[in-house]
Amino acid sequence: MLKFILRRLGAALVILFGASVLLYVLVINSGDPLSDLRESNADNREYLMQQRIDNMNLDLPWYQRYWSWLTGVGKCFALQCDLGTNRSGVSINSLLELAASSTLRLVLLATLLALVFGISIGILTAVRQYSGLDYGVTFATFLFFSLPVFWAAVLLKEYMAIGYNDWVREPDFGPVQIIVIAVIAGFLMQVFLAGSMRRRIITFAVTAGFFAAALPSLTALEYFRNPQLGYIGVAVLTFAVALSATAMAVGVKNRKVLYPALITAALVSVVQVALYNVFVYYMNWFIMIGGLALAAAIPWFIGRSMGGRYKGIAAGVSVATGVIGAGLTVVDHVFRAWPGFLGMKPRPIATIGSQTPNFGGDFWQTMLDQGTQLLLPTILLTIISLASYSRYTRASMLEVSSQDYIRTARSKGLPERTVIFRHAFRNALIPIATIAAFDFAALIGGAVITEQVFGWKGMGELFQTGLREVDPNPVMAFFLITGTAAILFNLLADIFYAIIDPRIRV
Amino acid sequence: MSTMNDQKTPSSGDVYSLAEAEDARLIKEDAESLSQGQLIRRRFLHHKAAMVSVGVLVFITVMAFSSIGFAGLPGWWGKTYLDAGTVIDGGRPTLSLIPTWLGGDGIRWGEYPFGQENTGKDYFALVMRGTQKSILIAVIVGAVATCIGAIIGAVAGYFRGWVDSILMRVTDLFIVIPLLVLAAVLGQIAGNLGSSIVYLALVLGLVTWTGLARLVRGEILSLREREFVSAAQSMGSSSGRIIFKHLLPNTIGVIVVNATFAIAGAILLETSLSYLGFGVVAPESSLGLLISEYQNSFTNRPWLFWWPGVIIVAIALSVNFIGDGLRDAFDPRQTQKRSKKRKAKANA
Amino acid sequence: MKTPSENPAAPVLSFADLSVTFDTEFGDVDAVKKLSLDVKPGEVVALVGESGSGKSVTSTAAMGLLPHNAHITGAASVGESNVVGLPEEQVRRLRATNVAMVFQEPMTALNPVLSVERQMTEALELHDLAYGQDAVDRAVELLEQVGIPDPKRRIKQYPHQFSGGQRQRIVIAMAISCNPDIIIADEPTTALDVTVQAEILDLLRRLKDDLGTGILLITHNMGVVADMADRVAVMFRGDLVETGTVEDVLTKPQHPYTQKLLEAVPRLRHADEALASAGRSGAAEADRRLVLEAKNLVLEYDMRGHKFRAVEDVSFDVASNEILGIVGESGSGKSTIAKAVLGLLPVASGTLSVQGEDLVTLPPKKAKAVRRRIGVVFQDPAASLNPRFPIGDCITEPMVIHRVGTRKERLDRAAELLDAVRLPRTVLNRYPHELSGGQRQRISIARALTLKPELLIADEPTSALDVSVQASVLEMIAELQAEYEFACLFVSHDLAVVDLLAHHVVVMKDGRTVEQGPTSTVLHAPQEDYTKRLLAAAPVPHPGEQRDRREARRKLLREQGLRID
Repeated sequence: MLKFILRRLGAALVILFGASVLLYVLVINSGDPLSDLRESNADNREYLMQQRIDNMNLDLPWYQRYWSWLTGVGKCFALQCDLGTNRSGVSINSLLELAASSTLRLVLLATLLALVFGISIGILTAVRQYSGLDYGVTFATFLFFSLPVFWAAVLLKEYMAIGYNDWVREPDFGPVQIIVIAVIAGFLMQVFLAGSMRRRIITFAVTAGFFAAALPSLTALEYFRNPQLGYIGVAVLTFAVALSATAMAVGVKNRKVLYPALITAALVSVVQVALYNVFVYYMNWFIMIGGLALAAAIPWFIGRSMGGRYKGIAAGVSVATGVIGAGLTVVDHVFRAWPGFLGMKPRPIATIGSQTPNFGGDFWQTMLDQGTQLLLPTILLTIISLASYSRYTRASMLEVSSQDYIRTARSKGLPERTVIFRHAFRNALIPIATIAAFDFAALIGGAVITEQVFGWKGMGELFQTGLREVDPNPVMAFFLITGTAAILFNLLADIFYAIIDPRIRV
Repeated sequence: MSTMNDQKTPSSGDVYSLAEAEDARLIKEDAESLSQGQLIRRRFLHHKAAMVSVGVLVFITVMAFSSIGFAGLPGWWGKTYLDAGTVIDGGRPTLSLIPTWLGGDGIRWGEYPFGQENTGKDYFALVMRGTQKSILIAVIVGAVATCIGAIIGAVAGYFRGWVDSILMRVTDLFIVIPLLVLAAVLGQIAGNLGSSIVYLALVLGLVTWTGLARLVRGEILSLREREFVSAAQSMGSSSGRIIFKHLLPNTIGVIVVNATFAIAGAILLETSLSYLGFGVVAPESSLGLLISEYQNSFTNRPWLFWWPGVIIVAIALSVNFIGDGLRDAFDPRQTQKRSKKRKAKANA
Repeated sequence: MKTPSENPAAPVLSFADLSVTFDTEFGDVDAVKKLSLDVKPGEVVALVGESGSGKSVTSTAAMGLLPHNAHITGAASVGESNVVGLPEEQVRRLRATNVAMVFQEPMTALNPVLSVERQMTEALELHDLAYGQDAVDRAVELLEQVGIPDPKRRIKQYPHQFSGGQRQRIVIAMAISCNPDIIIADEPTTALDVTVQAEILDLLRRLKDDLGTGILLITHNMGVVADMADRVAVMFRGDLVETGTVEDVLTKPQHPYTQKLLEAVPRLRHADEALASAGRSGAAEADRRLVLEAKNLVLEYDMRGHKFRAVEDVSFDVASNEILGIVGESGSGKSTIAKAVLGLLPVASGTLSVQGEDLVTLPPKKAKAVRRRIGVVFQDPAASLNPRFPIGDCITEPMVIHRVGTRKERLDRAAELLDAVRLPRTVLNRYPHELSGGQRQRISIARALTLKPELLIADEPTSALDVSVQASVLEMIAELQAEYEFACLFVSHDLAVVDLLAHHVVVMKDGRTVEQGPTSTVLHAPQEDYTKRLLAAAPVPHPGEQRDRREARRKLLREQGLRID
């Protein structure tokens, strides 16, 4: 296994090297780096030209220029990267620091979301092949496939961001709006839950009724400017999660599973009150991640120790309860921070830039700020790559569903859920892991455009300016970061591949 | 076993041997059976979404090429994309599709159906010209990428060995260099060669073949293990004959389907490049370039932004649906559906 | 859970007027027509038929696993519950606990990404029979019962770490894990070698006796029927044409279809018959005109750098108007030899000469000329013709490649050959997918004979065909050889088929020759242990005789000091 990964890593480095040579040569031959100066009328034209020739080593042959770039990169192994300077002599290292973090944050988040949602949608449409849901989703994914990124971005900005910002100043729903939203929600819910005609009508009525009642009451409570869950809300919802997770897994009569879930829910309810001040005043990312880890680990132990012969299921249900409970606590605090945040930033959803300059809020407000800045670009990138993942997953699931071992699983009397998730899904994931690796590079390409539309000073900017000025160092810096990220992502895919497919592992 | 063929002419209805029954059926069936090509055509013609898409695509193409003329031939639309003029009614489009009884302006075409841009040029003519160019680029890119991809994929899959290794390494390049980035660099190089869209299209074709090559290679790798290929090899058939007569025709499904997806992808790639400024450059035109030029006028003159975008989406969407329809037609394994009629009968 | 029936004769599985119609792209297809059949506890009922007879559809209907485009009427009852029309949830509960299934293809029947332990225990946990460590212990016990060695360690492994026979044992262990009343075994031994088949049949018989379950055995193999079944039901094109006890149906068939089917089954001749025809070993030694000669042949596959030796030091020869049979189980290297003769695999060492010209040292140009004299028929009728070539092009392809004749001459030749293989000339413009397997195999034969070859390579030409179709194809090969006098290298796993056709036989195992010589000696007076075992394992379609053979095989295995299940 280790050998397999090392071999892949070695091959990847060779590819990275080859690609860097190719890209370097192409970039320096893509135009004349002095063209703007040649047309210039400045008095010190000769001086400026000489200066640029010195900065860019234009008097050296290409292989020497490449070599000097490569030796600079080679120093990275000693943690002293030297990525050269741009044509004006500014060090690339300093430019890169700002750019890389925002771009990578965007791409990684979008990839993760696209994978989760794309694969879920793919499974759902494969299970409901040829249903209304399948046709609807198929049309939507084809539409997403066919959208020019920047065109969709402008629409998102215009209708989603500006529209929402205008609305949130004085949130209100007219009667027509309420009816339309209720009908749409009811319709979507019945498509999603499916079933017989009778069930569909009931689903529709319940959902539409809920929305028709909830929207005006929430508006009256000023919920959209002042949302809240409260201690009680978190506690009640967490207990509800514990009960419904148990019911879905084995049924509430099974005490071996029910009790650990309920104990977990009680723990969550107590902790969220006890640590209230910590969460408000001393919150940081370390606490956030550590807390989530504990919210998974402690219920796991409870489930394992109390579950008896159902310990596997008990642990699963308890962990789900713990993690969802912790998530609800986070949501509660985000809600609490929202009114203050609106005060600082009256138009919350940003259309320009990767963070608000000079924004000085507490932990939750900063989180909201970065979140709202990231919102639109992330939605855009997610939607675009989600389309391909959901199609691949659907095709892969359908392919796997016709295999003999699925028939074997059914003949054992397994319920459809187990057949799909335990037997079909794991096999269907194998080709998806490979495709995800390829798509990552495509997403970086999409990020270049997205950043341009949303005015981010990110990696895309670095690349574009560099290329336009026929200046290889910024372009190569862009390539180095995205290429390395892509290779790391590939490596992850390979490891994942080996984990799910024992034929590679053993 | 000698009894098997005693009855050379089995009386119909009372045949009690599988072999005889099959032979009897073969003799009875005349020319009424369908060839594979006919089957595929029939399935494609029954694919509703694909047929609608064919209609949309044909409509857009015919409009684009007939309205303003092409390659010196005049079109039926009176105005050209060059003449600036006075801006009437703020340049608003005169096209209306909402009939008066629905509270609209009635169905009419008007003087400037797509409106005018800021210097008064007819936007319909501009968009039609952009559409022409975008379609041309997409078709050239699709054709170049498909030819290169199919041949390289077939050669790599058939010979394996070093040809295959090189191909796989080249496609691996695209894992580390995003396609858009490579295309942008090459687009800039193509721009230096001249402003003709043909250079750009050829260059884009040179970087978009790898996906198809991988797919064709995969198909060929499994096809070459089939016994008809072994049979041809053992007869002494040349490699060229095996690749072009036996292997490639059997991958036609993959090739055709992916050619359509390549065309859809090329439309989007071209628009993205033109938007970033590394694609089509003035005085040439394309839909991407139009959006890029007028993106800032969204608040005052949204139609300058909407028309080219809608046409891009319409073309890409219909090409994708046609590809989907072709895939179902070539590979009906996953499309075994119960007809409505049968369902009704079963429920009754 | 189980249905404790007071009446011992109450069937555990019964079909009453079962009809299944599929709604396909080409209209409705009636797969099963009004079928009625019972299986009683502890009884083995064999459902026999050729492809398209509806036997597998019947069994799948009993599991409630038919696809959505199937329209089902009548009843398929497991115990007292009729599966047809029963809600999915209730059918699900019947599976594994009341009715279990063993599938044909052990290589794909197990999920490749889950450990055997997971796949075994999930049914136990689901049906509430055992949980956690109890379930694992029970699964280990079951594996022990079906004869997987070292089950405690091996249960942690994944399916790809087991051989085909072992995987089928695991599938059987899963099937019996919830003590079902009836096991449906759908061609459980078809994909297996004949010695493994005998072992699996022994296992099934033992389990049936131990557990008292009924078995519905779906098969096309009359030998398997004779070996296992108590009663037999014969299906033809969706109809049940005959039912009865195994003795009655196999020895005194009433229906003409059954009669023909049984006549078509190739059988090993009795030793005396064989001796009587010993003279057929081709021409006298002196007159033999050698066409193919292999000396100390060694063949290797190149598996990513490291070599795998598939054939080791094999020598044989074939003269014109002679058939040499190469028999062996999978992995014996028999097909590899055929590949090497066809030039699809380089010869690692030794000589391989056609009419005195050594293929190993021949320059490519000359080798191509030699290829002209070799025709080939492959195993898989679905894959051996290019689906995009009309039949006419398929048959004339050798003439095109070797630039023989004008277009008209080629077409005339094709028509001539179609007559020879008894197909109408109108198929010239048809495509392969319009023909049945047997017809396609006849086209392959026609193609092989196009250039009047000196040597015909037949690599398992009938193993994918139905029994009656196989009979006609074999007969055709024999007739054509009499007419064209070619030499033939006939590769097969089926001893009876080889016995029927071949003059000489080479028995292979693991790439080496075990025994070779005239058919009458090798297959009727074998000297080597392996040949004896192979012969003993092949079942014959006669219940009484098969019972004796089974005993004889057990004795033989005991003598050879081998494990008996």
